[in-house]
Amino acid sequence: MTALAREWRLLAGPSRLGLVVLALLASMAVALGLADVAAIRADIARVVALETRETQAITAFAKGDPGEFGYYRNFPVWRMPGDLAFVAPTRGDAVPAVMRIRILALEGQINDNEAANPELLLAGRFDFAFVTVYLAPLLLIALLHDLWSGEREAGRLAALDSLPRARQRLWSPRVVLRAGGVVLALLVPLAIGALVEGTAPLRLGAAVGLVLLSLAFWMLVTLAVARLPAASATQAAVLAGLWFAITLVVPAAAHLGINAAVPLPDAAAIARENREDVHAGWDRPKAQTMARFVRQYPAYADQAATGVAFEWKWYFAFQQLGDDAVATDSAARDAGIARREGLAQTIGCLLPPIKAAQGLQALAGSDVEAELAFKAEVRAYHRALREYHYPYLFGGRTMSGADIANAPGFMTRPSVTSKADDLMQPDLHPSVQVSQ
Amino acid sequence: MSRVRAIAALQLRLFGRARLAVVALVLLGMLSAIAAVTGASQASRMAADRAAAQMAANTQFANQPDRHPHRMVHYGTYALRPLGPLAAFDPGVDAFAGSLIYLEGHRQNATTLGAARESSGLIRFGQLTPAFVLRVLVPLLLVFIGFAMIVAEREAGLLRLQLTHGASTGALIAGKALALGLVAGLAALPALAALAHAVVQAPQDAAVAALMALAALLWLALWVLGITLVSVRARSAQAALMALVLAWAVLVVLVPRVAAGVAALAYPLPTKAETDLIIHQELRGLGDSHNPNDPHFAAFKAALLKRHGVTRVEDLPFNYRGAMSTEGERLTSQLFARHAAQLAAVQLQQHRLLEMLGVVSPAIGFAQASMAGAATDLASHIAFQDAAEAHRYRLIQSLNGLHTFQVRAGDDAARNRDPIAERQSRVSARFWAEQTPFHHQGPARADRMAGMLPALAVMLLWGAALLWLLARASRQEPA
Repeated sequence: MTALAREWRLLAGPSRLGLVVLALLASMAVALGLADVAAIRADIARVVALETRETQAITAFAKGDPGEFGYYRNFPVWRMPGDLAFVAPTRGDAVPAVMRIRILALEGQINDNEAANPELLLAGRFDFAFVTVYLAPLLLIALLHDLWSGEREAGRLAALDSLPRARQRLWSPRVVLRAGGVVLALLVPLAIGALVEGTAPLRLGAAVGLVLLSLAFWMLVTLAVARLPAASATQAAVLAGLWFAITLVVPAAAHLGINAAVPLPDAAAIARENREDVHAGWDRPKAQTMARFVRQYPAYADQAATGVAFEWKWYFAFQQLGDDAVATDSAARDAGIARREGLAQTIGCLLPPIKAAQGLQALAGSDVEAELAFKAEVRAYHRALREYHYPYLFGGRTMSGADIANAPGFMTRPSVTSKADDLMQPDLHPSVQVSQ
Repeated sequence: MSRVRAIAALQLRLFGRARLAVVALVLLGMLSAIAAVTGASQASRMAADRAAAQMAANTQFANQPDRHPHRMVHYGTYALRPLGPLAAFDPGVDAFAGSLIYLEGHRQNATTLGAARESSGLIRFGQLTPAFVLRVLVPLLLVFIGFAMIVAEREAGLLRLQLTHGASTGALIAGKALALGLVAGLAALPALAALAHAVVQAPQDAAVAALMALAALLWLALWVLGITLVSVRARSAQAALMALVLAWAVLVVLVPRVAAGVAALAYPLPTKAETDLIIHQELRGLGDSHNPNDPHFAAFKAALLKRHGVTRVEDLPFNYRGAMSTEGERLTSQLFARHAAQLAAVQLQQHRLLEMLGVVSPAIGFAQASMAGAATDLASHIAFQDAAEAHRYRLIQSLNGLHTFQVRAGDDAARNRDPIAERQSRVSARFWAEQTPFHHQGPARADRMAGMLPALAVMLLWGAALLWLLARASRQEPA
């Protein structure tokens, strides 16, 4: 303990300031993250509340007609921030945190972007993951690169090394204090944020593990370079160069390489094809549309007959056929995106700092996998909604207030739920109390 | 002057002897070349893809068969954000701004697509583009190469030696700065070559590109001056390196991100979902086309009947349903326009806050200037969205006009149950081909250049401040 106290006293003013500034930046990042997460939850809650009122307005003019409901009613879907979302929140992302879907063809809805400011996205986020991956290593390098060369250049190294048990009494406490200072500067704000959010201990442990992984990597690299018999300035330059290569150059170059290596089906063409198929439904013989639909939903074979007049069941049948027409391409596109992310993860396995960034984003639920999982959830929910409406549409039944209220609600998958989620879920259930 | 040149030449030889520096410069040159080549090929491919997609959408629309005009209102069309030739140098916000909007009646759709939604998470680390190389990578390389150029010589006692041979401190500093400036020029060469290549494709953009090159050189000149200043003033080479890396991390990496975070918090944007819901609410206040007794539509009908001196809509000389669609679209589009303007206003407030924080870190200003020049900035994106909405409104109202004047009211009313009326309610396919397709030029060159001026002014101010500090240092420096 006394050795650590001595090392703190010996620590130069700028180094102490560096530790304090890092702690402040990490705290600021956590505070911003918490504010962001709260804002996302408020955004979602507002949309769900507004949607409830909107549904009441539709109820007033739809008069129980399941087709009118199916056409006009929107159902909110959302990505509820989990209990670690504050380390890398998604607010302002191009992928919406909350959106509204209808039981019309989904393909034209599911790729909608949030009305975000792209200039802010381009700058990148200032969040806890950024402080951990970008800033903390720089401070660690600054504190440790001249561990030996600094003393050598001051002419003290031989004397210090000749002390009995110099390693245990001098160098180890020095490394422990400096690296420990960086660790604390990050983990204390993280722990406070986790306390506020009621983060599950295991998930917090995983985040701590990722922070330590990144810092341990940089500590080992820094000490290895510090051991070299070179001038302190050279060591600093080499380490800053390594940091620069690993945090900036390799990811940017790998991004280029991965996108070139994994081409994706043309999304604009998929969108057009989907529209073509849906609108061709108007001109196709109705019997053909219904026959194709019944192949997918044989339960409605007896109710699929259509007359001359417009019928909603036919309309919704060809909406679904439009989605079917592009389902393969659309799935191939998502698979391609997943493959790109898989390759990026492989690169992360080679470079611990990148892995730490990816891991923190995954824990926060703001990584590409979470995006794809959200899309998959929305598709599943859309299917559940359609199938809830089909019996009314095909059976010619009207929808009562209870039928409207009992439509399936959107639920996020369990792995991203949290205490905050559980608290909000009852209010957020998008079913509607309709008084008729 | 010849002495400055001699000192610069000597310093360049010294740079050449530093193995690490040469390796770093060569590596950066390779990276920069990769960025230039992929930037050019990606931008031209994306531009071609979008042009082809726009063409395909236009052709599909023009080739629709005889149809009821309202079916075409729902069929709609697509607008694709064109990508200018200078995007090869700086794609700017392109990856984060959707490039496709589906245009249809009754709705103002969100943008879709965008590279950020189809890439791995690595895109958040930054994209390797010529502009990124100039903004982020080259300054740090200059730091590595130049941090010791004066302070190390002082530490070794060489500075005094040179001064006793008749060199003035000013000439010495100027010579070293000149040498580092030449290295900066060399390092910037591949990126600037990418810009020049883009200009060859689009000679009309030459003036804008020249201003962009000027901005880049000014940005690097700031680093040359700053590095020289720190190398003059630092106590040791190590201290100089630490100070410069810290300055780089703060100015290039930290401040732009913090600024974006602050801007997002200071001027929060509503979600698209919430805006849509509010528009629906407001719409019900204006006029509810679902409600037969709605006061707005009742008044609209009464005014039409009165103007034509008839008592029933059936006696109007045109199809009332089409007129009602036109009025409905006018109402919704008013709200769309108002909310889009509000959204753009908030985004521009965020942009201006960044611009102001650019005084703290010229990296922000340089990025904004470069994007403005390349027509890949926020303003270009907003201009595209506005153009798409204007086109949507024009197209839909033109189709509603066909509905009003080309479809007989009787056929229109009976079309859902009478196949003959349905056939007669279709209008000729030639009308679709007559609609003007979407075309968007992007912001005018003069506007793009004007958009670059604030950042250029800030960088000039920084340059003046650094020059002044350097001049003061060279007077004080006893060496």
